[in-house]
Amino acid sequence: MKESKAPSLGRTPAQKFFDKWQGLFYLIPWIIGFVVFKAIPFGQSLYYSFTDMNFFEGIHEYGLMNYATAFTNAKITKALITTFKYAFITVPLKLIFALFIAYILNFKIACVNLFRTIYYIPSILGGSVAIAVLWKAVFRDDGLVNTLIRMITFGHAQGPSWLSDPTYALWIICFLRIWQFGSAMVLFLAALKGVPADLYEAATIDGAGKWKQFFSITVPMITPIIFYNLVTQICQAFQEFNGPFIITNGGPRNSTTLISILVYNYAFKSNEMGMASALAWIMFVIVCILTIIAFTSQKKWVYYSDER
Amino acid sequence: MSKAISRRDFIKVTGAVGAAGLLAACGGNSGAASSTAPASSAAAASVEAVGGLSSDPVTLTMSWWGGESRHNAYQDAIKAFSAEHSNITVNPTFAAWSGWEDTMSTKFAGGVAEDVCQINWNWLYNYSKNGQTFVDLNSTTDYLDLSQWDEAQLAACNVANAQQCVPVSMTGRIFYWNMTTFNKAGITEVPKSLDDLMAAGKTFQEKLGDDYYPLHLGAYDRMILMVFYLESKYGKDWADPTTSTLNYTADEIAEGIDFIKSLVDGHVIMSLPTYYGSNGDNAAHQSTEWITGKLAGCFEWDSSATKYQDALDEENKPGFTVGEEIKFGDYNGGFSKVSMGLAITKTCEHPAEAATLINFLLNEEAGASIMGSECGIPASKAGLAAAQAAGAVKELVAEANGKVMAFVSNKLDPLFESNDLKANGTGVYQEVFDTVDYDNKSGADVVDILLDGMDAVGYTVE
Amino acid sequence: MGMKASNAIATFFKYFVLILVGLIMIYPLLWMISATFKDNSEIFAGIGLWIRNPTLEGYQNALNNFGGSINILQAMLNTYSYVLPKVICTVVSSCVAAYGFGRFDFPGRKILFSIMLATLFLPQVVLNVPQFLLYTKFGWVNSPFYLAIWVHTAFATETYFVYQLVQFMRNVPRDLDEAAAIDGCSSFQTLYKVIVPMLMPALVSCALFQFMWSCNDFMGPLLYVQTPAKYPMSLFVKLSMDGDTGFAWNRILALSLISILPQLIVFFCAQDQFVEGISAGAVKG
Repeated sequence: MKESKAPSLGRTPAQKFFDKWQGLFYLIPWIIGFVVFKAIPFGQSLYYSFTDMNFFEGIHEYGLMNYATAFTNAKITKALITTFKYAFITVPLKLIFALFIAYILNFKIACVNLFRTIYYIPSILGGSVAIAVLWKAVFRDDGLVNTLIRMITFGHAQGPSWLSDPTYALWIICFLRIWQFGSAMVLFLAALKGVPADLYEAATIDGAGKWKQFFSITVPMITPIIFYNLVTQICQAFQEFNGPFIITNGGPRNSTTLISILVYNYAFKSNEMGMASALAWIMFVIVCILTIIAFTSQKKWVYYSDER
Repeated sequence: MSKAISRRDFIKVTGAVGAAGLLAACGGNSGAASSTAPASSAAAASVEAVGGLSSDPVTLTMSWWGGESRHNAYQDAIKAFSAEHSNITVNPTFAAWSGWEDTMSTKFAGGVAEDVCQINWNWLYNYSKNGQTFVDLNSTTDYLDLSQWDEAQLAACNVANAQQCVPVSMTGRIFYWNMTTFNKAGITEVPKSLDDLMAAGKTFQEKLGDDYYPLHLGAYDRMILMVFYLESKYGKDWADPTTSTLNYTADEIAEGIDFIKSLVDGHVIMSLPTYYGSNGDNAAHQSTEWITGKLAGCFEWDSSATKYQDALDEENKPGFTVGEEIKFGDYNGGFSKVSMGLAITKTCEHPAEAATLINFLLNEEAGASIMGSECGIPASKAGLAAAQAAGAVKELVAEANGKVMAFVSNKLDPLFESNDLKANGTGVYQEVFDTVDYDNKSGADVVDILLDGMDAVGYTVE
Repeated sequence: MGMKASNAIATFFKYFVLILVGLIMIYPLLWMISATFKDNSEIFAGIGLWIRNPTLEGYQNALNNFGGSINILQAMLNTYSYVLPKVICTVVSSCVAAYGFGRFDFPGRKILFSIMLATLFLPQVVLNVPQFLLYTKFGWVNSPFYLAIWVHTAFATETYFVYQLVQFMRNVPRDLDEAAAIDGCSSFQTLYKVIVPMLMPALVSCALFQFMWSCNDFMGPLLYVQTPAKYPMSLFVKLSMDGDTGFAWNRILALSLISILPQLIVFFCAQDQFVEGISAGAVKG
C-alpha cells in the first residue's frame, strides 16, 4: 500500500500492476461476503430444492418431487395465490396513495415538514413487532377500526370480523403495509421537486388543467422514481413475513399464509429443508420474472431525462 | 365386530395395568423418601456407560417451559441442588410453551440443546426415534433411581430400546368450571352429564345472553374431547399405542365430529370464528372472555388448573372449580399420558452429574418438596411422598389429577400429538374443526381431511 | 373572484386531506400511548384518547420479569448488543466496498458491480435455509454474542448500503482525490482523510437506517436466538404476547411502546437525515 504513492511518470511495473488492481483490494471483504454468505447459500438452496433434505434425517432422495408437490398441494397453491393477491393489492395502493399525498405536499403547503414527519413515522416503525401487536388490537372485533365504522354510520353498520373472516384477514396485513407509504412518498416528493417549474408554466399558458398537467407532465417526469418504487415494493411484498406471522399466524384458515410463512413452517417447524428451499426458489423465480418484466417494459414507459 | 371386541378386551387388560401403576403412583407415600439418593454418595462406584462424578467444577445447562410459578420452583430447586453439590453449577433456560417446541427441535437437530431438558412425551418419537438425541438412562442408574417409577410409566418413555427420559408426571384432561358465572345463570351444580351440559348452554343463552357460554373448546381441545366422546361410546383406544393403527372407522369419527358440532349448535361452546374475531390465535386463558367469565368452562390438562384459575379476574377467581369427568356412553372415555419427562441429551458432557440433578429434582426429598406439583403430581413415588409431606402439592391440581386418574382408562399413541396435527394455526385438527364451523359442514364432510392428515404423519388408517 | 374562491376550496381540500391522512397515520400510535395508561376494561370500551382511570399498572407489569429469565431492560440491552456491532460493521464495510466500486477501474469491475446490483433483488428467504445450516456448522446459532446476526455485515453483505454509498460517492468531486494523491496520500489515506469526511452525512444516514432496521428485525433473532435470557426486544414483545400469564393489553401495549421508544427518539433527533438518505440512493436508480 505505502508504495502506491502519487501517480508519477516513473512507475515500476510492480507499481503499475498495483495501481491497476488496487480497487479490487477494497472489494476483498465484499467478495468474501458475497461468496460465503450469498453465492454458496444461493447455490445450496437450489441444490436442496431437488432433495428431500431433512434437518434430522439428511438427504435420502433426489428429484423434482418438491416442485411436483408445490404445484399440486392445495395449501401451497393457495399460499401462492394469496401472495400474489397480497402483492397486487398492496403495491399499487401504496404507490398511488404515496404519489397522491406527495403531489399535494408539493404545493406550497405550510408545515410541509411536520406533515412529512408524521407520514414518515409509520415507515420507520412499521417493521417492528410492536406495531404488529398494535395492529392486532386495532383490528379486533371491538377494536379501533370497527368502533370507528360503527360511529361513522351511527351504529348502522357493523365492521367485518377482521381477525376471523378469511375474506378480510389479508386486508389487515395490506393495510399495515399501505399505512407505511411514507418512504415511497418521500421519494416521490423529492422527484416532484425536481420537475422543472417552467414545464408547468408552459402548460398553464396552453390552457391545460391541473389533472391534464398531472398526467401529461408530472407522471412522465417522475417515471424513473415510479419504476424504482415499483420494483423495490414488489420485492418487499413477496418477502412479507412479520405481519402475517405475528398478527394472524397465517390464519384464519390459511387466508394469510403467504409463501414466506410456508417456507418458515417447512424449514423450521417441520424441518423439511428441501421443501422449504423449493418454495423459496419458486418465489425467487416469480420475483425474477416480475422484475424482468418491469425492466424490459421500462423502455416503453420510463423516461430518463438524461442518458444515465 | 368380533375383532373389535377382542381388541377391547386387550385394551381393558393394558388399561388395568396402567391404572394399577397410577394408583401406586398416587398412593405411594409409604416411607419411600428414605430410599432416595441412591448413589450420589457412592461416587467411586464403577459405571458401565457413563463416567463417575467429577470433583472438579462442572457446569450443566438445563431447559424447561412453563409459567411463572414453575420457573420459580425449578430455580429454587436448582439453588438447593447447588448448595448440596457445590462443584456443580446449573445454568437454566426457560420460557413459556408457545414456540418452545420449534426452538427445541432446532436445538436438538443442531446439537446445541441443553444438557438436561424438560421434554414433551411425543418428542421422544419426533426427535429421537432411533435414540439419537437422548441418553439411555439405564446407563446412569448409579445416580438416578429408576425404581421410583413403575414399569408401565417407564415403558412409555422407552423408545428405540432405550430409557430416553423419566416421567415427571402423568396427566389427562378434565373439565373446569367457573361457578361464579354458573351461579349467575342460576346453576349451582357442576355439569355431570351431557344433558346437564346441553341444558347449561340453553340456560346461559337465555339468562345471561348470547355472549356467555358454559364451556370453551379450542380446536385441539375439540379433538381431544371428540376422542374422549368416542372412547366412552365405543370403549376402545383412539389408536393402537404401539403401532398407531387407527381403531375407528370414518363413520364413527364423523359421529364424533357431529357431537362437537352439536355442542356449538346447542350454545354450549363458542363457534371458532367468533372466538378468533376478538382473540386471533391467542390461547383461551388469555382471552377477555375467559378472564371476565363469559366463557365459563374449559376442558384442560389437570396440571393446567392453576394457569386457568390465575388468569381469572378477582370477581371470578373464587368460583373456579374442578368439575367431574362426564360419561358420554357406556365406557369411561379419555386417556392419561406422560405429561412431560426429564431427559439428558447425548451432547451432555457430564451425564453422571446430569442424572444426579434429575434424581435430586424428582426423587430426593430436598428437591421434590420444592418442585411440589408445579409440573403436575409427581410420578416418582419418593418424589410424591416428599412433596405431600412438605405440603407442596396444590390442592386444586391434586383434586384434578385424582379425578382424572380414577376415571380415564384409555391409552394415547405417540402420533396423536404430532406437531403437524395439533399445531396452532397450521395443524390438521384445527383445519377440521375450522371447516366445520366456518362452512357449516357435517362430520361426514370433513372426516377425510382428518384421515388424510393422520395418514401423512404415519398413522395406519384403514 | 371565482378564481379566488376555487383556489380557496382547493386549498381547503388539500389541507383537509393532509390533516385527515395525518390523523389516520398517527392515531393508532396516539391510541396506543393512551391505552398504556388505561386499565384493561377501558381499553376496548371506546376509541377515545381520554383516560378515565389513569393507571401505571401496565408499565409496572411491563417492567416485571416475564415468561422466563428476562425483563424489558435486559431485552433492550440484548438488542443493542448486536445492533451496535451490526451498524458499525455495516457502515465500515459498505464504505470500503463502495470506495472500491466507486473510485477505481480494474478489469472485471463492471461485472462485479452488476453482480452487486443483482444481489439487491435477491430475496433473503432463498438464503435462509442454507445460511441457517452454515451458521449451525460454525456454531453461531444461539451464540451468546449473536454472531449469526451481525458478523456477515462485516463483509458488506448489506448491498443496499453499498449501492447507496456508491451513489453518494459520485457527488464527491474526483479533484479532491487527485489533490490528495498529489500530496502523497495513499489510496487508503485518501479514503479516510478525504472521502469519509465528505461522505459523513451519507454514512450517518446509513447508520441510522441500519439502526432502525436492525431494531425491527424479527426473523434473524427468531432463527438464531434460542435462549430466552438472550432475547432481544422484538422476540420479547412477541413472547410476552403468548406467555402463560393472563393477557393484559395495557401491559403488552406498554411493552410495545417502550420497545419502540429509542427508535422514536432517534427518529425525531435525526429526521432530516432519514429523508435525505432515502432520497439520495434512489434518484438515479
